[in-house]
Amino acid sequence: MKHKKAKKYGMVIDLDKCTGCGSCMVACMAENNVPFRKDESDKLLSITWMRIYKLTNGKPFPNTDICYLPRPCMHCEGQHEGHSPCVTVCPAIATDYSSETGIVSQIYTRCFGCRYCMASCPYHARYFNWWDPVWPDGMEKYLSPNVSPRMRGVVEKCSFCFHRYQMAKEKAFMEGRRKVEEDEYQTACTQACPAGAITFGDLNNPNHTVYRMVKPDPKHHGRPTNPNAFRLLERLGTNPKVYYLSSREWIRRAGDNYLKSESIAKKPAHHE
Amino acid sequence: MSALDDNAKEIAEDAGGEGVATSSPEINQKEQDNRSEGPIILFFILGLFASLILGWIIFPKLLYSKKKQPIDFNHVLHVAEVEDGCESCHFFREDGTYSGVPKLEQCIDCHEEIQGDSPDEIKFVEEYVSKGREVPWLIYSRQPDSVFFSHAAHVKVAGMDCVTCHGHIGESESLKIYEENRITGYSRDIWGKSIGGFKKNTWDRMKMDDCAECHRKNTAKIERAGVKTPTNRLIDHFIDVVYPGTSKFGKGSSVQTERDACFVCHK
Amino acid sequence: MKIDRRSFLSFLIGGAAGTTLSPLTWKLMDDSAIWTQMWPWTPVPADGEASYVNSACSLCSGGCGITVRKIDDRAVKIEGMKGHPVNNGGLCILGLSGLQLLYGPTRVRTPLKRVGQRGQGRWEKISWKDAISEVAETLGDLREKGHSHTVGFISGSDRGTVPRLFDRFLTVYGSPNLMRTSSIIDSYELTLHLMQGAQALPGFDFENADFILSFGSGILDGWGSPVRMFRANSTWCNTGGKVIQIEPRLSNTAAKSDKWIPVNPGTEAALALGIAHVIIKESLYHAEFINYYSEGFDDWKRFVLGEYGPDSVATITGIDSTTIIALARSFARASKPLAICGRGQGTTPGSLNECTAVHALNALVGNINKKGGIFAVAEPDYINWPEVEMDVRAAAGMQKDRLDGAGSKKYPFSRYLLNRLPQAINSGEKYPLKALFVAGANPLYTMSDSKAVKKAFDKVPFVVSFSSYMDETAQNADLILPNHTYLERYEDIPTPAGMPRPVIGLSRPVVEPQFNTKHTGDVIILLAKAMGGNIADAFAWNSYDECLKETLGYKWRVMVEKGFWSYPDFFVQTHEESFDTVSGKFEFAPKETGSLKQFKPVNIEGDKTNYPLLLIPYDSIRLANGVVGDPPFVMKSVEDTVLKGTDVFIELNPKTAGEHGLREGQLAMLSTPVGKARVKVHLFDGIMPGLVALPRGLGHTAFDDYLAGKGINFNELIGPVEDSVSGLDAAWGIRVKLAKA
Repeated sequence: MKHKKAKKYGMVIDLDKCTGCGSCMVACMAENNVPFRKDESDKLLSITWMRIYKLTNGKPFPNTDICYLPRPCMHCEGQHEGHSPCVTVCPAIATDYSSETGIVSQIYTRCFGCRYCMASCPYHARYFNWWDPVWPDGMEKYLSPNVSPRMRGVVEKCSFCFHRYQMAKEKAFMEGRRKVEEDEYQTACTQACPAGAITFGDLNNPNHTVYRMVKPDPKHHGRPTNPNAFRLLERLGTNPKVYYLSSREWIRRAGDNYLKSESIAKKPAHHE
Repeated sequence: MSALDDNAKEIAEDAGGEGVATSSPEINQKEQDNRSEGPIILFFILGLFASLILGWIIFPKLLYSKKKQPIDFNHVLHVAEVEDGCESCHFFREDGTYSGVPKLEQCIDCHEEIQGDSPDEIKFVEEYVSKGREVPWLIYSRQPDSVFFSHAAHVKVAGMDCVTCHGHIGESESLKIYEENRITGYSRDIWGKSIGGFKKNTWDRMKMDDCAECHRKNTAKIERAGVKTPTNRLIDHFIDVVYPGTSKFGKGSSVQTERDACFVCHK
Repeated sequence: MKIDRRSFLSFLIGGAAGTTLSPLTWKLMDDSAIWTQMWPWTPVPADGEASYVNSACSLCSGGCGITVRKIDDRAVKIEGMKGHPVNNGGLCILGLSGLQLLYGPTRVRTPLKRVGQRGQGRWEKISWKDAISEVAETLGDLREKGHSHTVGFISGSDRGTVPRLFDRFLTVYGSPNLMRTSSIIDSYELTLHLMQGAQALPGFDFENADFILSFGSGILDGWGSPVRMFRANSTWCNTGGKVIQIEPRLSNTAAKSDKWIPVNPGTEAALALGIAHVIIKESLYHAEFINYYSEGFDDWKRFVLGEYGPDSVATITGIDSTTIIALARSFARASKPLAICGRGQGTTPGSLNECTAVHALNALVGNINKKGGIFAVAEPDYINWPEVEMDVRAAAGMQKDRLDGAGSKKYPFSRYLLNRLPQAINSGEKYPLKALFVAGANPLYTMSDSKAVKKAFDKVPFVVSFSSYMDETAQNADLILPNHTYLERYEDIPTPAGMPRPVIGLSRPVVEPQFNTKHTGDVIILLAKAMGGNIADAFAWNSYDECLKETLGYKWRVMVEKGFWSYPDFFVQTHEESFDTVSGKFEFAPKETGSLKQFKPVNIEGDKTNYPLLLIPYDSIRLANGVVGDPPFVMKSVEDTVLKGTDVFIELNPKTAGEHGLREGQLAMLSTPVGKARVKVHLFDGIMPGLVALPRGLGHTAFDDYLAGKGINFNELIGPVEDSVSGLDAAWGIRVKLAKA
């Protein structure tokens, strides 16, 4: 194997613990200089790298149930390394899959705004800057120098707080290390989640919590072997690196758009 | 006068060649050929040179605005004073970030009071130190906001020296004029002094291609170092030359470009 | 020389060749590409040295520790403080967006004096010196005339050094009218006082409890100290702790609970008594506690066994009797059960009857002042200032009855009844209020029946706001003396709501004050000094910071270093010494309030014929409804089924909507006896038929364009309903009529 030491950063979100409080959304916005506008109620235009969806089981009162599902970028690996839906369609090489970290990057200055990637992303994880970002007078003071503010006309999305990885690496280099420890690189949403519902780490490293939580099956593109774990739209074969845990079956079914007649026990085979 | 005459003649000729017959048609033809070829080449050369002069000499003068640094600085003098070379002032912070141009805080240790009689030092102490104002240095090597550059990775891990990218600035006795690109706002040092983009030394330019050039070379070198057989090395070298970037040893971390992934250098 | 056409063309070709050979085109192309990628108007954040400052958040009473990341002198990110006893690294959505308040457009940047009509928004900048002397003059005049008691002060809290400075100032000045923003804490304080004889705050040991019976408390919707509650919920996920949520609407808390039991709104107290009935009847109660540490059990038992059998409670609450019996059994059999109340975020005190009934359940299972139970946490006595010396005027003023009626014959147990203030001013029964100070509160937004509150404010000739932000109250004030924000000042943050052991946080300046603002503590000290005499003597400090340092004493250094002080030697009282009632035991039926043992439904406003439906508010952690509103980031997180454009959605059961011929997204007119509002309809199966739910936290008229003018303020549609024993606001909803708009 050419990338023996390659990492595969991924996330596990425990939906039993997630309360839908929205801390992850705002921690992400604050960390990544995400802009905002006066009216953000049109959610198709509202840039939220991390967005919480509200699912309902559709049953009438009083058997109704709701569940919140935080959705960052899934950093899909695809059927073979880097065959992410968005990366393959980008005509500008503005988005890329790193075989070193498994992170799908987005280079804003390179993007020319064709939005193919948005069309191809099955998770609606990509957002287009329809307007120039404007911060009210004085508010640009809180902008972080670690993430560059985006300009009008480009696509942006969750980066798994890649700058935090870079910062952790710099610190390690300074201390004469080459390795970044699990707790040294955590995304802003993971850190902020008051419920501790988000876990982040290297899916290739059996010592990392994420690995232990989902036990990815390498023979099936990392499909989780934990029966409570699932990935969104597993059947599309996007091979996402964000896993969800839920003890409720209707949520697991909803995660992969199962039809009522389908049985969830029988995991469908991928086209391989 | 002659130009006017020529013009008149040409108009006459264009009208059908009738009218004034000065000499025999053959001689006339010959003369005309001789007379018109010269100016055509001349004008070509004129145009060529004019545009070359415009492009190579006038254009850079128009493109870049010249700015003087707020005060002059003598690197030689300071390097002689400090123990740790460049890193004495351009140091790494504990978290691995690079401090860049020193802040007043560092200078103040020595320059609380005026040390010598250099007018720049006097200005520095009076205008900045005593007023607690930071010096608005113009930074020759400032990269745009979209670029993430880790000094720690290059200096601490790869063991590169400052000169490789920054040249012999440590040996300068005064600061050169800062030239700012009027369109991009970049320092001229990023594109390089040569408007044609030619470089002799590694520190002559600081554009993405320059980063890539070095990375390509060195990634390949590092990866190849592990391969023992000379045959492998030869084959690999051959692939590298004929199909740059496709050699499995030179392959970076990016799946898309087969170089280093974009996020490595961008933010 | 002659320039013919061919020469000219030749010149051009030469030029073109030369241009190709010169860098002009290529360089220009490169530069313009760069220019379009990095427009000069896209801000480039300055880089610098990163540092972290530990402080405390005071945007709500949750008291979370925060760590603020700075780049040089700019604060760039607020994060939860690792190792803090309240939040240990996590932080809520509002706390995370605090920098938008610090650097935001809603800041009041300098002292302002009203120029035009009230609320017109026309101001004149004045100096701090002039502002303080103007206040001193007005107060001096009133005191001179013997009207010192006509000065009122509304404070967000009465704990901590700054509110205590207000209290001290009013005492030495001569006014009894300090009022505190009310919440469920008021009801709990009263309950603990009546049943346990304690002057204390309720502390809930959630982390160790294993069966939470929540009577509508929005554990995951911002109740108590929100981040602590989220953490506790995750602890229950890991340890198998159970949460039973009783409320008519499927809130986030209900959705995450182990069992959601929809209840007829306002009948929670009856359910508590019904559960008590089953526990007593089946002898599932904690015999030792009942026999040795309680008083009046037999009396209470007779009454509960008589009237609150499962069947009659089933009729009242709409919950079938088998569920009630099963619930009572599992509550009593759990090893560490805990019953709590306070609807939603607990912003309304609710009826005292309900609070005592729920608290009695805790007593039945004997989990008072016990691991996993509820504690009466006495506020640590760290503020020990010398007694004030009152002159004749002050003494005379302090003798006057409080305007809100707290402590009067009618409501002898209550300490503050802010909800009664508007009515007291508007009716003019007692005496008029001539000056009103507001700090850490936004009554014009948060108090119910906005119209009546506004009318009352209009009757007060001199209103002063200490708000850092242009909120509704500041907007309608005569003078704004802007405080530093919590990120620019030192202040002690007293024990957060619901903590079982005391923790004092320290809020400290993360950045230099950004504008010409002044610490309210300093303003009070300066004001006292400007007034001279006894008043000045009572404030001997040179500055607030000096006062705080002196007050905290040896704790100061630790707090500066760690960010909080956690009372390592705090211990829990045994049952023998816990109760300070006449009997020295837990009182099931406090003598002072015989009526408490009975379930008396709160008479909410409106008659059934004209207003066939019930309107209830709901709280969401994504909608701040306290002293600040949602900053832009938090507004961004509001779902499009809650707010779309400027329209707010009501939640309606599809069945109810069908009866009214309303469809999803349709406009409707909501009318209550108090007010009217145009809303949009969102069909939600998770709400009981016959109910209409409206979110709290919208409908601001102040703050910035990101918040103002969106949706409806729930308080415009509801008025307060006085609890007969406490006098606190017991309204949980109001009757409502719904029509197509």
